[in-house]
Amino acid sequence: MVMYKSKSLRGRPLSVITVVGASLLLVFYLFSSSSSSSKAQKRPPPAIGGTKSISHYQLNGLQSTWRSFETHERVLILTPIARFYEEYWNNLINLNYPHELIEVGFILPRGREANSALLRLEEAVKKLQTGTKKNRFAKVTILRQDFDSPFSQSEKDRHALSGQKERRAAMARARNSLFTTTINAGISWVLWLDADIVETPSTLVQDLAAHNKPIIVANCYQRYVDHGENKIRAYDFNSWQDSDTALQMAKDMGDDEVIFEGYAEMATYRTLMSYQYVAGNDLHEEIQLDGVGATALLVKAEVHRDGAMFPSFPFYHLIESEGFAKMAKRLGYQSYGLPNYLVYHYNE
Amino acid sequence: MFSMMNGNPFPHTSQTFNISPHRFQPRSKNQFLRRQPSKRLLLLVLCPVAVVLLFLFPTLRTLAIPSLGSSIFRDDPLITTVHHYDLSRSTGTGRGWERGERVLMCIPLRDAAPHLPMMFSHLRNLTYPHSLIDMAFLVSDSKDETLLLLNTLLEHQQSDKDPYQRFGHIDIFEKDFGQVVGQGFSDRHGFAAQGPRRKLMARARNWLLSTALRPEHSWVYWRDADVEVAPPTVIEDLMRHNKDVIVPNIWRPLPDWLGGEQPYDLNSWQESETAMQLAQTLSEDAVIVEGYPEYATWRPHLAYLRDPYGDPDVEMEIDGVGGVSILAKAKVFRAGSHFPAFSFERHAETEGFGKMCKRMGFSVVGLPHYVIWHMYEPSVDDIRHMAEMEQERLRKETEAQEAAGKEKADAGGPAGGAAGVSDSGDSPLKEASQEKDLLAMYENGQGFLDSVRAAELRAAKQVKEEMMQKKLAAEKAKAEEAAAAAAARQAAGTKNGGKKTG
Repeated sequence: MVMYKSKSLRGRPLSVITVVGASLLLVFYLFSSSSSSSKAQKRPPPAIGGTKSISHYQLNGLQSTWRSFETHERVLILTPIARFYEEYWNNLINLNYPHELIEVGFILPRGREANSALLRLEEAVKKLQTGTKKNRFAKVTILRQDFDSPFSQSEKDRHALSGQKERRAAMARARNSLFTTTINAGISWVLWLDADIVETPSTLVQDLAAHNKPIIVANCYQRYVDHGENKIRAYDFNSWQDSDTALQMAKDMGDDEVIFEGYAEMATYRTLMSYQYVAGNDLHEEIQLDGVGATALLVKAEVHRDGAMFPSFPFYHLIESEGFAKMAKRLGYQSYGLPNYLVYHYNE
Repeated sequence: MFSMMNGNPFPHTSQTFNISPHRFQPRSKNQFLRRQPSKRLLLLVLCPVAVVLLFLFPTLRTLAIPSLGSSIFRDDPLITTVHHYDLSRSTGTGRGWERGERVLMCIPLRDAAPHLPMMFSHLRNLTYPHSLIDMAFLVSDSKDETLLLLNTLLEHQQSDKDPYQRFGHIDIFEKDFGQVVGQGFSDRHGFAAQGPRRKLMARARNWLLSTALRPEHSWVYWRDADVEVAPPTVIEDLMRHNKDVIVPNIWRPLPDWLGGEQPYDLNSWQESETAMQLAQTLSEDAVIVEGYPEYATWRPHLAYLRDPYGDPDVEMEIDGVGGVSILAKAKVFRAGSHFPAFSFERHAETEGFGKMCKRMGFSVVGLPHYVIWHMYEPSVDDIRHMAEMEQERLRKETEAQEAAGKEKADAGGPAGGAAGVSDSGDSPLKEASQEKDLLAMYENGQGFLDSVRAAELRAAKQVKEEMMQKKLAAEKAKAEEAAAAAAARQAAGTKNGGKKTG
């Protein structure tokens, strides 16, 4: 074999070398970027350290108050993002809370679809952060998940009951990865804003913070067109007050079962915030909630710091944001909702 | 030899079946290129063009190999406010020190000033590359000079002449939670105090972690300040097992009269049927704590399974973990597992952490024969006992001296007697001064004293001081008495004198 090969190629050694060299270079260059982090080093370079690397933070002075605006409290806006909507982005950059007090965090799943979302996000972020100083956010962090999400993103799939548990669990994990790595010593508030929320009042942060509640959620609706008429309908059913039926259901369930809201197969008779909306009523009417949705959710950072997270496992038969409200309650934090304060979900 | 075999190193001697390599084989491989030189030319041209294109437009690389989506996933050096992190690069592997994986070392501190020098001597000795270790301290509810001392020691460490001694980023957080119980040994370890205390500790740990954890961290190492003896390779030793959560066995030394050593951390255990049943009977907010007769759980404890000669690499699946030294992959915390500051499945803090990790499907492992030694902190009773022992020893010593003195007096031999006195008078003095130095060194984080011996020396010192004070007080009282007597005598004298004159 060896004899044969060398004989046949002897004619044009230069071309062979070129081809081999070029392909080697290509492979090397393509992979060099991804493997650089795992390069084995006998002795790593000396520390980034030095006395300058010691930082001191006084967390006692950190507060989250209703006067967030005046006391310069920092807000962290977190969005798990799989699809990029222009409307979401425009709405986000139109928030009129001072942008120098806003840090933004995104987390993207792995996969092809997310790649295209990433490209568009990158473009938008780049444009904003190199644009007018006033509009720039203090910090933008873009994360890539370290696990695979099981869900496909079509509207129908997303809402099928069978896949709910896996989908919500992956979502919970993504949210947890996002907040645990992006909350730093300066953050007072965390605003969870879903990537498909396309319209909110531009004063969203101040409005929600003004209530000075540990956890507060806006009512998520959706605009649609019916016979040429513009209408709105309830969208997010995860904000609710518990019912005896649901509690009884939970009692009868196995450890690993989860109650989901908004499915005929599981009639819980909970009081849903979605249906509490009355057009024209006071925007700032509050109600107490037992479960919350995370579409537009403002949380005091101390709630997350104390350990309230989005359970990716059945926690009191609840999962993700609904489980979050329960866990916060176990830590002594009550959730609230604003039934008349609407934010709008993208309509597919 | 080989020519005889026609180059076949394994000639078939039997004639049953034979595949010879020396047969005609069609030249299929390069026919394509040979017959179509134009295509070959095209290939030759395209390759460099592709390479050049990929150099010029990095975004094209994702098209070439879709899985490389991460290569556009990079910080732009010109935009300082935007940061990219691919979390799959910080999932943690068993050979982190070779792959440059960053470790976040979390150390909660409360009134820990006396332990800090020792802690820093441990930190200096860590063999895991220091530049890969970021440290986060939480100083809470401290009334002593913990913060001040910590700052001084850190400044000193970070300005070390050897750059390999310096650590990565260091964050110090100050946050008071309001204390429910004191930090004294007896305060901390009373049964009633456990539930609220553990919940508070949990909050502190969560604050520390959520504030300090960054996307580039692959591992999180929790370490208490009051560890006395730990192998310098402890991070690598635990990491090598490549488990999601792993803890060593924690023991503590004891004075000989208490048995020499004792299992310390009883929070690392395997779940038992009894405990499960017990949990069901308790209220939602109750917290089961280990090591108290009030909750007899009959769980197998990691601590009790230690064999001093056992293989340190033996692993054991556990459900609850203790917090003295936990190595966990950062992805565990990123997934949401934390130290419950509420009763999670009837457990809180580190035990609840173990439970939650299990619930989320992570591996939780203990090493029964790999031991880290916690400091010995004497209880009030222990200190009293040590003081009594010291007094007993002193009493015997003086008795012996007296006896020796008597003997000398009886014998009347001046030479032997003098030698005896000088012996018994000199050596304890020398010993005492040496021990005093040792104690001072120990408190500065040097020397080879262990916490038991240090406690004994401290008790001895205290007894000595007390005796000195007593002696002084007695002398003072005597002097006062004498003075009073003298005064009385004088008064009587003047009276008498007066009488006389009168």
